[in-house]
Amino acid sequence: MIYVSQLLGQKVWDAYGREVGQVDDLMVAATEKNMPPLTALVLKKNRREIQYIPINQVASLWPSITLQVNVEKIEALNPSGHELLLKERVLDQQIVDTEGKRLVRVNDLQIARKGERFYLTGVDVSGLGLMRRLGLEKVGGKLVKLAGKGSHSEVIPWEFVASIEHDDPLRLSVSQSRLVRMLPADIAAILDDLDHHTSKALLQGFSNEELADTLEESSAEMQVAVLSHLNPERAADVLEEMDPDEAADLLADLPDQTSEQLLTLMDDEDAEEVRSLLGYPEESAGGIMTTEFAQVPAGLTVEEALEYLRNSKDALEDEIMYYVYILDEQERLQGVVSLRDLVISPLSTPLKKWMESEPIQVNPLTKPEEVAYLVAKYDLLSVPVVNPETNEMLGIVTVDDALDTVMPTAWKKKLPRFF
Amino acid sequence: MKSLKKPTWLKKLLLYLAIIGPGLITASSGNDAPGIATYSMAGSKYGYTFLWLLFSISFGIVAIQSMAARIGAVTGKGTADLIRERFGVKTTTFAMLGLLIANLGSTIAQFAGVAAAGELFGISRYLTVPLSALLMSYFVLGRNYKTVEKVLLVLCLSALSYVIAVFIIKPNWAEVFQDSLQLSTSLSSNFILSVLAVIGTTITPWGIFYIQASVADKEIDVKDFYLTKFDVTFGAIWANLVAGFIIITTAYSLFPAGIVVESAEQAALALEPLAGSAAKILFAIGLLGASLLAVSVLPLSTTYAFCEAFGFERGLNRSVKEAPTFYALFGVIILISVVFVMIPNLPLFQIMWLSQSLNAILLPAILYLLIKIANDHVVMGEYVNKKLTNILSISLTVLISIVTVILLVSPIFS
Repeated sequence: MIYVSQLLGQKVWDAYGREVGQVDDLMVAATEKNMPPLTALVLKKNRREIQYIPINQVASLWPSITLQVNVEKIEALNPSGHELLLKERVLDQQIVDTEGKRLVRVNDLQIARKGERFYLTGVDVSGLGLMRRLGLEKVGGKLVKLAGKGSHSEVIPWEFVASIEHDDPLRLSVSQSRLVRMLPADIAAILDDLDHHTSKALLQGFSNEELADTLEESSAEMQVAVLSHLNPERAADVLEEMDPDEAADLLADLPDQTSEQLLTLMDDEDAEEVRSLLGYPEESAGGIMTTEFAQVPAGLTVEEALEYLRNSKDALEDEIMYYVYILDEQERLQGVVSLRDLVISPLSTPLKKWMESEPIQVNPLTKPEEVAYLVAKYDLLSVPVVNPETNEMLGIVTVDDALDTVMPTAWKKKLPRFF
Repeated sequence: MKSLKKPTWLKKLLLYLAIIGPGLITASSGNDAPGIATYSMAGSKYGYTFLWLLFSISFGIVAIQSMAARIGAVTGKGTADLIRERFGVKTTTFAMLGLLIANLGSTIAQFAGVAAAGELFGISRYLTVPLSALLMSYFVLGRNYKTVEKVLLVLCLSALSYVIAVFIIKPNWAEVFQDSLQLSTSLSSNFILSVLAVIGTTITPWGIFYIQASVADKEIDVKDFYLTKFDVTFGAIWANLVAGFIIITTAYSLFPAGIVVESAEQAALALEPLAGSAAKILFAIGLLGASLLAVSVLPLSTTYAFCEAFGFERGLNRSVKEAPTFYALFGVIILISVVFVMIPNLPLFQIMWLSQSLNAILLPAILYLLIKIANDHVVMGEYVNKKLTNILSISLTVLISIVTVILLVSPIFS
């Protein structure tokens, strides 16, 4: 991710390394609503002369701005009038919400590369963005850390910025309560398109937790690339924050020596869970399952079960928790009850009365396609994975992990997000 | 509907009354507690000398205040809005830092004025200062602010007593004129600080922000701007006249006696020819009214500017939840000022006038930005500064800068 503030005032070099001028402003095509592509650099050559350089003559923007041609061969661009000048019209402008209430000013603007082109993706409204403008980004990062907040940038996706009318504040097209920060999946999509240098710089700004969330949504190649950019201690910290099944998948993609090193750096408890998952082949129920699921001992009433869940660490870590599994003392699966049934059942009745005592289950070596088939056939939200010899319950495969294996990645991105 | 038809002159008068105000209020609160302190000090210490200064800066002041008002009328935006939009984050941050420091100093000075007025009545500052802070916050944040403002403006009319006093003491005008022309300049830090204080209290950074904001808020049509300009000009002249009369009174009654005003009690002596033994009370009432009027405007103007610069929601018509930064900053400014004034044995009178020297030192930066904005065609269109306005305002800016530089280098040569 590049920020407009990092480009403004930068020197621009031609193909022979001769200085052409300084970036005075950036121009995007105003006709594109969601992600306007960068069309030109506005160059200040000296105090008076200004030149528009079309973006297709720019070889790189970061870390230094170089042109593909030499200075004599620049084909200056004549603005058509449908462009938007970012410094002149957007930077530092007031942002108001749908009701015209002032929110904050545009502290910075985010630019991302997708393939060959650069796009305006978001508006940075964070204090960190302000510090970056002041040249105090490092100090700002430390301050944010001291304050105990994750040092993320607050970014409003550009598509939510509705109007650029003359001299009016930027109005948001969604209400503030609906306005979400860029979702991890969006960041992952952009990350995938960035070159290593840029994404590394970007990753510095994430907290471990955010990085974990983002990595879970990234492609396998990206995961490996990102992790290899982090120092081992940080990488282990990030792995601890990830779902054990995702962490195990990632480690399986790394060289054995590296993954072993990371596992020893990880917290013992987390490492143990990941190790148990690593024992199964990647393309199996055991390989895609997670070991975090809500469970209660057998023989409780509904009331006791709810109370138990409230205090249970497993239930707390189960992010989705559609089903509650009933296990005996040897961790053997006795039955399953949906959270819905649990909530609406009379408190004093025994849990046994409501549970499904012969749940659909798979063994750790079941093929993912088979799991997906079962999930689809029985409309399940997760399937328990049980050791066929001991009947011990090992984990669950959730519906999204099951579908992941059978659905092409491209489709997934188009599906609406439910959670 | 016949009764609604009004003669044109009445319509004009009503229009004027609707528009008038910002200039007069800014000017009146220019003669706030630190103002009265500064002029009294200057008059008692240096006689009529400062009259020439007051006279010569008044042209620049009229130029600058009507410039700020014009920017407000043309753009409908606050000064801080425009600084952020035209000069970016760095400049804005420094300007806001300067404004915060200057305004904090002035707010402290206002509470020092409350404390001094209270002590003239024999009431401890530990009672008057927190009480007035609570009361003013209550009135300002509550909705009956307009009524309070009127009461305070009436209290400020006690500044008129200086005008009356001058006509009672009947100074020899020829002598006043001659003495004021004797440009006695000195390089002592104290004299230079006094020069700065007189400038810094006659034209304040917050006054500029305030006048632009109130003109922008009233959504005055640029066509009717001549009325605002009249308001501003009239206000500035009136304020400077009163300032001049304060200097004359103190110079007449205290300077020859060798009394250098260092406390509110001494400053009140200047009103003795008018009120006799009641001078103390008259002075205290004026001081209290002026301080409270400024307290009701100054912290608010500061928080407005700060929130504008960084884009936070502001304004009294928003709830605390909607504009948390606005209310928090307001509270912090009041709190710091109150706590500062309650430091035991704080020399209230010196604080009052020295805070105005600080105002003046920070003023050139704000003026520089303001003049640049007023000359920016993108912002002002056809309403950019005329040549005369530029000459007057730039000379005043340069003058203040030179005096500040002299202040900084004078210890080296003396």
